[in-house]
Amino acid sequence: MNMEGMNMEKQESKRDTGGHDHSKMESDEILDWKRKLWGSWVFVIPIAILMILEKFEMMLFDEKITTLLILILGFPVIFFFGWHTVKYGLKGIFTFFFGMDSLISLGTVVAYLTGIASLFGGIADYSGVASMIMAIFITGKYVEAKARGRATKEIMKLLELGAKKARIVRGKEEIEIDINDLKIGDIMIVKPGEKIPTDGVVINGESSVDESMVNGESMPVDKLKGSNVIGATLNQDGILYIKATKVGSDTFLAHIIQLVEEAQGTKVPIQKLADKITAIFVPSILVLAVLTFAGWWMYSGNIGSALGIAVSVLVIACPCALGLAVPIALTVGSGMGAKRGILIRKGEAIQTMKEVKIVAFDKTGTITKGKPEVTDIYSKVKENYLFEVAASLERLSEHPIAKAIVNRAALKRYKEVKNFKILRGRGLEGSIGKSKFVVGNHTLMNERKIQVDYFREKIDEYEGLGKTTMIVSENGKAIGIIAVADAVRDDSLMALASLRRKGYKTVMITGDNERTARAIASQVGIDEVVANVLPEQKAGKIEELQKQGMVAFVGDGINDAPALKQANVGIAMGSGTDIAIEAGDIVLARSSLIGVVQAISLSKATFSKIKQNLFWAFAYNVVAIPIAVAGLLYPVFAEIAMALSSVSVVTNANLLRRKKI
Amino acid sequence: MVKKTLMIEGMHCASCSGNVEKSLKSVKGVKSAKASLLFKKADIEAEEDVNLEEVKKAVSKLGYRVAGIK
Repeated sequence: MNMEGMNMEKQESKRDTGGHDHSKMESDEILDWKRKLWGSWVFVIPIAILMILEKFEMMLFDEKITTLLILILGFPVIFFFGWHTVKYGLKGIFTFFFGMDSLISLGTVVAYLTGIASLFGGIADYSGVASMIMAIFITGKYVEAKARGRATKEIMKLLELGAKKARIVRGKEEIEIDINDLKIGDIMIVKPGEKIPTDGVVINGESSVDESMVNGESMPVDKLKGSNVIGATLNQDGILYIKATKVGSDTFLAHIIQLVEEAQGTKVPIQKLADKITAIFVPSILVLAVLTFAGWWMYSGNIGSALGIAVSVLVIACPCALGLAVPIALTVGSGMGAKRGILIRKGEAIQTMKEVKIVAFDKTGTITKGKPEVTDIYSKVKENYLFEVAASLERLSEHPIAKAIVNRAALKRYKEVKNFKILRGRGLEGSIGKSKFVVGNHTLMNERKIQVDYFREKIDEYEGLGKTTMIVSENGKAIGIIAVADAVRDDSLMALASLRRKGYKTVMITGDNERTARAIASQVGIDEVVANVLPEQKAGKIEELQKQGMVAFVGDGINDAPALKQANVGIAMGSGTDIAIEAGDIVLARSSLIGVVQAISLSKATFSKIKQNLFWAFAYNVVAIPIAVAGLLYPVFAEIAMALSSVSVVTNANLLRRKKI
Repeated sequence: MVKKTLMIEGMHCASCSGNVEKSLKSVKGVKSAKASLLFKKADIEAEEDVNLEEVKKAVSKLGYRVAGIK
């Protein structure tokens, strides 16, 4: 009755959220084990009392009746609550697909049969033990299933992140539709506190949006007309009208989920050993149990105790801890990463990372923002005036440097420009009011015979730092200079300092000229600069670096793909929505080099957890099995040890969460 | 080549998922199989003309249930 009530509730909540198969299945499994757990202990506790009384020779009943009672009480434990295990276990033995069920079911069934045999004469009765083993096994499985649920928590959350409904404008009406019916071009209305249903572009309204799910960054991002927004991020305080640009499996969230899911299928190399052992583990234990039985029977002549010892061997061996050791730690690690915008695509990267000695970076778009910004101005006239005229002219050009000046000036109104002309590769000219302006580089000023001596020193200083200088002149006289450079990302300096502190050699590989490259390198603190590298040579440079040690290469994905592949670990900066899925072993959703530092420490922490887990799982079996073979372990204690060992592996993996990344 | 994901119920230990992999790989046309205990699924890569009923049978004969293929 109670069970039904719980199922109803679950059904309800499933409808509420639109539900996801994964979470439902997970909790179904836990619920199932929980039901079996209570059921089996209800029978096992009286069995235990009977067995203890028997031990102290306080017989409530005649010996045969006690045995019969234990058999009756134990029957439902093994053949009802444990039926799933017994059925698959025995099936496994006959089809040669052995699992740990095979060990448990063989152990419990054989032990149970000794009870029946003992009714007919002189054999030790292990039927009580059989029920206890099954109950402990079920308890262990319940605890393990719960811990496994915790381990997959972050990833499951990611899967459930998407919005289920969207409110869209159809004609003049607002209607609510299912997310699956949403089409590209639909106009969505997103109110404060709501999730943005899918990727799109804002066409009306202003708000700030919490994009922490994408980049782990807690600061909300301002969105206004023309801003791109990402599905499943959270609208904070204004109403946004958004045109859907991507739906279904093309969205950013869908890509991330795909990445994370695929990573779960990849294997960490160290796991191969564990897999090999797991594959032959169960049959080996079956053989060992038979040999143990035969050996003890011949040695002691007591078939009963020989059976008991063999049962111990069967139930103490734990392939589960071995098999779970690696994947569970990988899952916890990649879940932690996903929460921080670090997507581990290949399990192998985790193992390789600890060998990495050199971290190489692409410059543009990786260390720097990849678009020019105004960095300095030097002027004879008022700064405002200089920007006013420069921006009014530059507004008419599409050049990135022009954009940088316009952005910096951020004028509300522009001056009217006449006789405007773009002078390709040099600058531009035009008239504002009665004055004639020329804005451009050195070459242009020389052409027009405009004197720049007053600014000479500053120009040399800026260019020495790798900046591009634009000279503004009015009626044939230079009035000011504006320096533009591809600015370094805010946290590049911090990230590089942290890498150096950890002992990594840092290298910058760039297609830019030596001077600009060196300027940036000294600004952020890079050990080695390789400049003037053509895109197709990047991979070759990585190969050269690899002679000195393992290399991790950080690039912004699209043009750096060959270098990312060549490097031992490729870390792709996926800037916002245009993540380059195929490029790296690790993809950073947030475009910050801090992510590189985090990815490295996360990989290392995860791998050391993997090693710990493997060690404990191996050590457990190596120590426990001989003890059982030697007959030093009562079967019930053997099963307790077994349950604890698989629970401890999962729990230990969850402890990874405590590590500060 | 097609990629399919099988949702599998009933796997509860590492040797279960190992067995599922082994059994799936023995199906004609299946090139690779990876079973995940944690995510209760198996990903396979197979020839276009693979018989999905055979694939399902490979799982169910071990005693696990295929809850869905996508």
